[in-house]
Amino acid sequence: MVTFATIPRARKGARLALMGGLVAGSLLLAGCSSSSTAGSTAAPTGGSAPVSNGAAQVKVTLTGSECALDYSTAPAGPVTFEVTNTDAAGLSEVELLSDKRIIGERENIVAGLQPASFTVTLTGGTYNLNCPGATTENTAFTVIGAAATTASDTQSLLAEGTTGYGSYVEDQAQALVTATAALDTAIQAGDVTAAQKAYAEARPFYERIEPVAESFADLDPQIDARIADVEPGTDWTGFHPIEKDLFETQAISASTKALSTKLVADVSQLQTLTTGLTYKPEELANGASGLLDEVQSSKITGEEEAYSHIDLLDFAANVEGSEQAFEYLKPGLTTIDPTLTQQIADQFTAVDALLATYKDPTVIGGYVLYTDALKASDATKLTQAIQALQAPLSQISEKVATA
Amino acid sequence: MQKRGDNEAGVPDEGAPAVPVNPENSENSETSENSENSKSPGHAETTGISRRALFGGALASAAAGAAIGIVATGASDQSANAATAGATPNDSTIEFYGQHQAGIQTPPQDHLVLMVFDVTTTSASELQVMLAKWSAAMAQYSKGVPVGAVEPARDQAVPGDTGEAYGMGPNALTLTLGFAPSMFDDRFGWAKYKPAALTDIPAFASDALTPEFTGGDICIQACAADPQVAYHAIRNLARMARTTATTRWTVQGFGRASAGQGQTTPRNLMGFKDGTRNITTDADLTQFVWVGDEADQKWMVGGSYLVARKIHVLIETWDADYIADQHAVFGRTKSVGAPLTGTAEFDTPDFAAKGADGALVIPADAHVALAAHENNGGIKILRRGYNFTDGIDDVGRLDAGLMFLSYQKDPAQFVTIQSRLGTSDRLNEYIRHVGSGVFAVPPGLSAAGDYYGKAFFA
Repeated sequence: MVTFATIPRARKGARLALMGGLVAGSLLLAGCSSSSTAGSTAAPTGGSAPVSNGAAQVKVTLTGSECALDYSTAPAGPVTFEVTNTDAAGLSEVELLSDKRIIGERENIVAGLQPASFTVTLTGGTYNLNCPGATTENTAFTVIGAAATTASDTQSLLAEGTTGYGSYVEDQAQALVTATAALDTAIQAGDVTAAQKAYAEARPFYERIEPVAESFADLDPQIDARIADVEPGTDWTGFHPIEKDLFETQAISASTKALSTKLVADVSQLQTLTTGLTYKPEELANGASGLLDEVQSSKITGEEEAYSHIDLLDFAANVEGSEQAFEYLKPGLTTIDPTLTQQIADQFTAVDALLATYKDPTVIGGYVLYTDALKASDATKLTQAIQALQAPLSQISEKVATA
Repeated sequence: MQKRGDNEAGVPDEGAPAVPVNPENSENSETSENSENSKSPGHAETTGISRRALFGGALASAAAGAAIGIVATGASDQSANAATAGATPNDSTIEFYGQHQAGIQTPPQDHLVLMVFDVTTTSASELQVMLAKWSAAMAQYSKGVPVGAVEPARDQAVPGDTGEAYGMGPNALTLTLGFAPSMFDDRFGWAKYKPAALTDIPAFASDALTPEFTGGDICIQACAADPQVAYHAIRNLARMARTTATTRWTVQGFGRASAGQGQTTPRNLMGFKDGTRNITTDADLTQFVWVGDEADQKWMVGGSYLVARKIHVLIETWDADYIADQHAVFGRTKSVGAPLTGTAEFDTPDFAAKGADGALVIPADAHVALAAHENNGGIKILRRGYNFTDGIDDVGRLDAGLMFLSYQKDPAQFVTIQSRLGTSDRLNEYIRHVGSGVFAVPPGLSAAGDYYGKAFFA
């Protein structure tokens, strides 16, 4: 199987340096809690938030259904928001917005737990502190100092990520064209064994970029429709009728060859259409989550590869495509919500580790076949692992959204 | 997504109009593909190939935009209807905070959803966050309030609350949480807090337990006047715990099968009144249900122990049994529910009375005789069970029965009674215990900021 380097991981070190003055809060705050304004947070005090440990310190208190902060003004530079939830059962989240964009946030600040904090580096201007669910959700927060003249680091990082993802998609589309050509060669030669192997080698390139491919709503069904999805009166084309011939009938007919010729053309068109596309950060986020929809709706059910049973290969490719999209967002997302970013990274690690237990190099596609027996014994475990990943992953779209 | 050159390469398009998320598109469902495909047949090979809204976000064409707009309008109409449709909201509210957890002494509501979770995280701090979130959320749900936005303002936000109970009112919802013995192993440092009374229920004669409905780490009993309100609470609690706990087994009960204070006695699926002699007085609750100062673990004072048994009733064979045998099985009459030695439901059974033939009127192995406190050293338990159905089982029978729930200050009370029932109950011919769990149910939370297990994380 052809494999591709995971580009974003290699760049991680360089990007960390870009984060500069941004520090995930809790550790920083360990030594400077509860100094001046405990218990008097009903209305913001006059003046600017005091600076200590290199950051302006703002305390946010959640009580009842109220969200209050002790200072509503701070000097430009790092600002730390320490959030205490004394007894606000309905509140657990605080976020700082610039215009409509989340630039920093902290979740799971639950009543009764220890205070939590987040730190953001702010330039001059007006921001909004948002407490979802509070009686007063938004409080204006003013930063005094020079205004930003360029896009923020976070926005640059996210933009850089979308560019990188565009290249990733192009790489996958190119590899798909190459692998499909190899499949076609084997089919035109009438070599079932070689064609089975080539089929399994081509599939992951499509599955990794499935949300992009699916955005071309007329082309996707011609490449990837399953028999049950074919409209009456429409020809069934693409990978899956070829799969049926290769793995169920195990014979290559004139029709198989014609299907293969068309698949080569369709995949080539897909490459043309995906070349030069640009993406928004939220598209990467929704695509990453969408790939996990795919895993749950067609791979774990065993519907995707009904004849070859290489569903776990597609499963792994969906997860890999999702992880790639996440990795490209990660540098920017880390500046917005480091806790969530780490949680997602941990869940990807767990899913990857689980998938690794199914690897079998002796089987076509490199994973054990997803038989009915395996489905019966393991589907629940696979579903739970994917759901535990998708729950936090589905949260990132609104955090990186550019709208 | 757009072609490079339409915009500065890689720079997010800040001027893009906000577009409602279309959930159907973000699901990438095959049906939506087909329906879109069918609208534009034969266009695939042309340059005018259509791109539908991808990644659930941006739009590629005006036509697609219009389609999304229609969907979004429909969605907001639906949410408006949800708040006003049907009956007026049921504002009946059971206080969540208090000395004891709600849902025990509370007269049984009509509907149950019981969910048992396995804790998957190995991190004590993640468990702590989960329990704190659950505790706060339970308080909100008990007031009929969602946790998180049903319809967030930001287009790219995933709704915090799933919305199916929106506008329905609290419906007397109670949420009751318990910890299984397995929570007190060495995973989270809880071993030293394990009550001596909290041990797995022993095997009984005639048990037919299945792993699918047995065990687990934490249970939550949701009871409400409306099944959707109860289900909503469980669903959302499961959702907010998705990275830390998985759902192990669940039973939905559709009709209460026990009477509480001030309630008439309901019937089980066998057609008999169930729970005629159930605990109702505060004195009995103190004596038999609430853990008192005698507890070895003081955190349990004011709490109780829940025994959960999923009991499959062999409906079809029971329905073929003749009435005299049905009477003998229960030791009561069917319509009135009187003991066979009496004429009214609440007549005290006379377990010694013999008929003209010299045999006991209430057979010694009748259910009421074996379960009666008079024949069990005075032991009583608070029954709070529900009828359930799970469709049709794998051999073609109606899969239904009793989700038996009992609260007692020591699981040994249940064990004593069930040991006798399991061995010789006439009822055993018609029932199978297929699921089992035992849980330490902590006392109630004092106020917002308090949460289940708080003392264990000190």
